[in-house]
Amino acid sequence: MTQQDVTRLQGIFGRNPREPGSLIAVLQDIQREFHYLPREALSETAKALEVPLSKVYSAATFYSAFSLTPRGENIIRVCKGTACHIKGADLLLDQLESGLGIKPGETTPDLKYTIEVVNCVGACAMAPVMIVNAKYHGNVPCNRALRLVKKA
Amino acid sequence: MVHITINGKVIKATEGEMLLSVIRRHGIEIPALCHHEAIEPTGNCRLCMVEITREEWDGWKKHVTSCLYPVEEGLIVSTHTPDVIEIRKTILDLQLANCPDSEVIQKMAEEYGIYKTSYEVVPEGDNCIMCYACTRICEVLGRSAISAVGRGHRKEIAPPFGAEPPDCIGCLACAQICPTDVIPWTDRDNTRTIWDRKFELISCKECGRQTIAREFADYLIEKRNIPREYFEICDNCKRSELARKMGEIVARAQEVAI
Amino acid sequence: MRIDSVDKLNHWREKCLKKRAAQKRKVLVCLGPGCLASGSDEILGELKKILSEKKIKGVSVESIKKTGCHGLCARGPLVVIEPEGIFYSRVKKSNVAEIVETTLEKGELVEKLLYKDPSDEQTIVDYKKIPFYARQQRISLRNVGQIDPDDIDDYIASGGYSALARALNGMKPQEVIDEISRSGLRGRGGGGFPTGRKWATCAGIDSDIRYVLCNGDEGDPGAFMDRCIMEGDPHSVLEGMIICAYAVGSREGYIYVREEYPLAVVNLQKAIDAAHERGLLGENIMGSGFTYDARISRGGGAFVCGESSALMKSVAGEIGEPRAKYIRSVVRGLHDKPTVLNNVETFATVPVIINKGGDWFASIGTETSTGTKAFSLAGKVCNTGLIEVPMGISLREIIYDIGGGIPEGREFKAVQTGGPSGGCLPADKLNLPVDFDTLTEAGSMMGSGGMIVMDNRTCMVDVARYFLNFLVSESCGKCVPCREGLYQLHGLCVKICEGKAVEESLALMERLSKVIQTASLCGLGQSGPNPFVSTVSYFRDEYLAHIRDEKCPAGICRDLITYTINDKCTGCLACIEVCPVDAITGEKKIKHVLDQEKCTQCGSCYAVCKFEAVDIE
Repeated sequence: MTQQDVTRLQGIFGRNPREPGSLIAVLQDIQREFHYLPREALSETAKALEVPLSKVYSAATFYSAFSLTPRGENIIRVCKGTACHIKGADLLLDQLESGLGIKPGETTPDLKYTIEVVNCVGACAMAPVMIVNAKYHGNVPCNRALRLVKKA
Repeated sequence: MVHITINGKVIKATEGEMLLSVIRRHGIEIPALCHHEAIEPTGNCRLCMVEITREEWDGWKKHVTSCLYPVEEGLIVSTHTPDVIEIRKTILDLQLANCPDSEVIQKMAEEYGIYKTSYEVVPEGDNCIMCYACTRICEVLGRSAISAVGRGHRKEIAPPFGAEPPDCIGCLACAQICPTDVIPWTDRDNTRTIWDRKFELISCKECGRQTIAREFADYLIEKRNIPREYFEICDNCKRSELARKMGEIVARAQEVAI
Repeated sequence: MRIDSVDKLNHWREKCLKKRAAQKRKVLVCLGPGCLASGSDEILGELKKILSEKKIKGVSVESIKKTGCHGLCARGPLVVIEPEGIFYSRVKKSNVAEIVETTLEKGELVEKLLYKDPSDEQTIVDYKKIPFYARQQRISLRNVGQIDPDDIDDYIASGGYSALARALNGMKPQEVIDEISRSGLRGRGGGGFPTGRKWATCAGIDSDIRYVLCNGDEGDPGAFMDRCIMEGDPHSVLEGMIICAYAVGSREGYIYVREEYPLAVVNLQKAIDAAHERGLLGENIMGSGFTYDARISRGGGAFVCGESSALMKSVAGEIGEPRAKYIRSVVRGLHDKPTVLNNVETFATVPVIINKGGDWFASIGTETSTGTKAFSLAGKVCNTGLIEVPMGISLREIIYDIGGGIPEGREFKAVQTGGPSGGCLPADKLNLPVDFDTLTEAGSMMGSGGMIVMDNRTCMVDVARYFLNFLVSESCGKCVPCREGLYQLHGLCVKICEGKAVEESLALMERLSKVIQTASLCGLGQSGPNPFVSTVSYFRDEYLAHIRDEKCPAGICRDLITYTINDKCTGCLACIEVCPVDAITGEKKIKHVLDQEKCTQCGSCYAVCKFEAVDIE
């Protein structure tokens, strides 16, 4: 971790009450700032909140919002909610997987793209839905999926 | 004092007691894998389920884990109904698919008439039944060096990052409490290895036998106020020393008497 | 401005209403999840740009109101012009200038953007007359799509916080509980537990601390009612929580919002800050001496955290593993203190009940399921969107009269309610009245209100497989029946989808399901087998077709179908472009050829072909 990272981390600890109950909130802040949970950051969290490291690691692996590996510059989230499933979310995934050469949860070697599958983003009326970074795309035909990603 | 009925017999029990201990105290066999006196019950294994009802429930009944259910006045408990047995059988059947090599599970399953699982054997199963006994005892000892990692069917018990656990003191409590004996450890050449971490073993000043891991001793010295000298001699030598001293006293007493 | 008395609230409301009346024209732009996915943010941007440049009498940038979900997502992006209620649908960025010129300047209609009824091609101008809206009755969604969620004064102008004022001044806590009990309100999160009874239990326990929590962890895939309320009318949730806190004697609480809803977090936080500033939340609310504060707790993305004990653990910073609830969480909840946990829709309903009375609410709906219920209508139905209807309405009315039926003239096959804990109901159940008890009796459940319509291109075995797969990964992994049982049930289901199962599997699966239902520790496991149990009971033939004939009648299960290209192929290249495994070859205007060896039966070619040239067998 660079000195800058340490400062950022201290900032996160400063924003949250220093108590075990802040664990999830602190991990969320780290995930948001670093786009993943660096190992040293988890060790520092354990010390700062006085929580055993095993419990920090347990929480980091329990919740799907957290990632232990660095993610890509562009996060593509494909919704696999029920409505999206029956409206062909799998076809979108097929296109993205073959187009980018990675599976859900993976990041391209150039760290440009990460594909994630999410259970439901609550935009079911426009299924199938794909979110590229923060931008929602509804009713995505499978042959447009890759184009929307490359445009981002 | 409360009164409950177990399999038709009225029994007295102390308020706050859990059903499982009352049932077992009265000689009724109920299987359980995650239960241990040293740790708080969590109800992971579901084997100790029993059926409960009450007069006023009018025939309505429910199934509860007896390890977690406190006794209540007027409770009517049945420990071996067909539904309860079906639950235990299915759970053991599932566990057998999960850890086909575990002798403990095989034996328990056989007692319920299951010799081969009805399900597909889980690939990469490791005989761990996720009872959390190891993580719970580690927490009781104040270390929490290992924890449940991940979620759902991929969940496993592991140290942080799958690496040497920094908070482990090599006390072996996890390995010893494990009902299916799946936590490997070795003591070789003054070194104990568990969770891939190595610990120096203290040798007895008298006989040279290895006693406990140095980290464990340090922990007990610090947290439990036990004097350091206590760990320098092994229990065996302590006993022989005591016996020798006792012998001397007796001999002197006899001399005096003569 | 701090509101420190009821009089001040009334006075302030008058002021807000006056301000509102001065600005007659309003252009409502829907920023609900559906419209956002259709690009309504761009419409908003364009509208702001044009109106800031143009001078039109009575219209300015101030006339633009961004709202939460308006409802008819299928026709989004939606722009509604008040006071007439002119409903423009499927608005494109390029239409904005025309709307400004024609409607806002000249007062005329942009015909092509108006709603045309599919049945008779009649144009309907006022949205309230569109069948989709006309059949609804909105209570919990009363403000969603109508007000600006970021503007507390807009909420106050619409009668907001008047129920709180009424409760704090003139009602004893017990009277509030009695009113809620009288309304017959049952928890909208799925279980349907009587809200009044829950509050009464919590209030009756001797404790120094009590918590009031709001469950905004809308985890059921296919449900988005709570998202729309949190995003579109956050103050109604807060007001409901404060009223509850007053009734049970709580001073603090949390709103647990799922990670996947970032906008809900933002809007709720803005609402909390604004309510603080107005003196409607925090110390000495409205000068009454009563204090309650609510904070947001963000979820970490775990479905099981919708379960009360798991949610409370998550709020306390731990992993969301449920505990056995032989002592209910209303008695021993967050930090082991008595806790009321209700969901978003329940809290949003509370202020209306306090204002209009429990008897009024109880007069709507059925005897055991009173009031209205919000649903998110999705899947293979024309009018996908957000609706609220009186309890007791039939599934048919929802799907056909409000939902407009099944698109592309396909046949209705099933409707899924209750999410992963619910079930699928077939066509002969369409006349069932929608209420808590009827749906449960029929083998499904109300759940939180997701309603997904399926047509004959949906395979019910695949649907069961889908839900089981979801639950296997969302199970917390603590207890054996759920972790191992659902894993095996899913494995057996996959085998059926692959045509590799034997008929005996179904009996084994049914036996296993029963044990998972009785022996699991929490609701996730106990209801986990439901998607299988309901589909196998209503669609057994479809299961048998997979097992005996190794056929998937819906043409979905990849291992049991083959795709072929027929003579209708015009050689348009669309399927070649989309095939992820390059199994299709050919040239422009020449019939394409599909290599069965390479084909993975994904169906992408079928999905993109506009000439019905791809057959499924």
